[in-house]
Amino acid sequence: MLVTFGSLIVKNLFRQRTRTALTAVGIAVGIATVVALGVITGGLRTASNDFVKSGGADFMVAQKGASDLTYSAVSRRDWQAIEARPDVERATGVLFEVAHVGSNPFFFYFGYEPAALGGLGLRPVAGRLLAPGAPREALLGAKAASSVGVTVGGSIVLDGLPFRVVGLYRTGDLWQDSGAVVPLATAQELSSKKNVVTAVHVVAAPGADPHDVAKDLERELPRLVAIESAADYGKVDQGFEVLGAINLAISLLAVGIGAIGVMNTMIMSVFERTREIGVLRAVGWRGSRIVRMILLESAALCVLGAFVGVLLGVAASRAILLVPAVSSFLTPSYAAEVFVRALAVGLVVALVGALYPAFRAVRLSPMEALRYE
Amino acid sequence: MSELVVDVRDVRKTFEDGRIVALGGMDLQVSRGEFVAVVGPSGCGKSTLLHLIAALDEPDSGSIHVGGHALESHKELSHYRARHVGMVFQLHNLLPTLTAIENVQVPMFELDLGVRERRRRSQNLLRAVGLEGRERNRPPQLSGGERQRVAIARALANEPPILLADEPTGSLDSAAGRTVLDLIERLRAENGLTIVLVTHDRDVAARADRLVHMLDGRARPEPMLATSLPSSFPQPVGGSR
Repeated sequence: MLVTFGSLIVKNLFRQRTRTALTAVGIAVGIATVVALGVITGGLRTASNDFVKSGGADFMVAQKGASDLTYSAVSRRDWQAIEARPDVERATGVLFEVAHVGSNPFFFYFGYEPAALGGLGLRPVAGRLLAPGAPREALLGAKAASSVGVTVGGSIVLDGLPFRVVGLYRTGDLWQDSGAVVPLATAQELSSKKNVVTAVHVVAAPGADPHDVAKDLERELPRLVAIESAADYGKVDQGFEVLGAINLAISLLAVGIGAIGVMNTMIMSVFERTREIGVLRAVGWRGSRIVRMILLESAALCVLGAFVGVLLGVAASRAILLVPAVSSFLTPSYAAEVFVRALAVGLVVALVGALYPAFRAVRLSPMEALRYE
Repeated sequence: MSELVVDVRDVRKTFEDGRIVALGGMDLQVSRGEFVAVVGPSGCGKSTLLHLIAALDEPDSGSIHVGGHALESHKELSHYRARHVGMVFQLHNLLPTLTAIENVQVPMFELDLGVRERRRRSQNLLRAVGLEGRERNRPPQLSGGERQRVAIARALANEPPILLADEPTGSLDSAAGRTVLDLIERLRAENGLTIVLVTHDRDVAARADRLVHMLDGRARPEPMLATSLPSSFPQPVGGSR
């Protein structure tokens, strides 16, 4: 029995239910794309951050300007120079390669010096670690073992070379747990990268500030770059930057397409109600109240679309992870930031889509609006 | 001498780049509590005059003072429309998705009224216009006369001192029209309203204290008492501008 501003907005939206529903679906598809991409890129960042910090490392050093981490090359001389620094407690070189194993084209394997494995945080699950002087032994991450169906005593072929699996491990780092560890010398031979590692994981000496050590290292060895977190990953992997750009482009596209849909709906709605808006002006409604009514109608429509879009986006990101090759290097990251961005996209769509209709609604004088046929 | 609440002086209003002259120097003075009927043939400018007094449109020249407000210099016309005048249109102009009582509450958004006061006031108004029990009906569920009564209740929602009615019975049958006029007269007696009513209908005009006869956008020189309405008074032929 009491009409409120909110109930008036809901009633207006539900006048044309099909149109409202279709517009909300259009917005939802855009938002779902933003959410799914956000969840995936967030997951990729988390995984890469875990890799940077693997084995308790403070940061990772790689070749400056590499277009992809696997293309990075740090010479043994530079690695030794890092190792020799008094402010560095430990410097572990790793050769990072990708092989096609079974149906997985992105199977990661890591070449480490067997003697360094003890300090890398590899928790043996079964079997033992690599023995010195055994070039064809491999360790399998627990996740990889279950996905390729190989256990201790079995064998795995990496880039055409068979390895005997002597142990299973867990690190908590998705990439390493989904891959294999082999002796560094064998990995270098296999990939024709003699005396070269992909990166060096660095632990600063007690009392030394890791950030200062990283910056000092970059000054001393200008061909190298220190990666302290996933945010720095773009320095050695342009794929991350490309992914970020794609994410932004799709978000903007979603805003653009969504805004056009909302604008179309709101323009039709305002045109149909021109006389009614004239009546509201005639009974004393301020122009600002009418603008607020139209903006809130649009916002309600977009929030509804955003809510459905978030659900669709989460479902889509889970569906993508059903592909084993994807789940080996990606875990979804449902960070609050992703959902805040989805809501922000929805509200920007609402604002952009409703501005012109709102402007048009108050531009007419009450009498012009009342005369509108 | 009674206080002037509507003072229209030498108002001109044209449409279509001056090709159509709706008002060509109109004067009108209405005292507090007076019931004035503005009559005249179609296109003589009656409705335009009412729309200008309601601040729904702006004159090309001349001055309009309502309740001490000079409309040409009034900065917040929406404030004026919400508080100082209530407008009843020939067609009810109710919002179709809202119930009768919700339609009555629509103008109250501009007042700082509490929920209880809004509900109380709208219920009282619907009771006053004889629509108790029809509060939850939407306009399509009401008859023409009932819709017009809701429109009158809406016009009085913010307790304006002046009621402006543009052919309020123009779309009703004679019985429904009589009911609406009785209602307007009763509300005037109860609330001391000043009423300016535009009509084609001699029976409607006969209810007023005073007639203002318009022709070609101007008032005739001699205002007439309603009781002296000439027999040649034109009959309704359609809407007027």
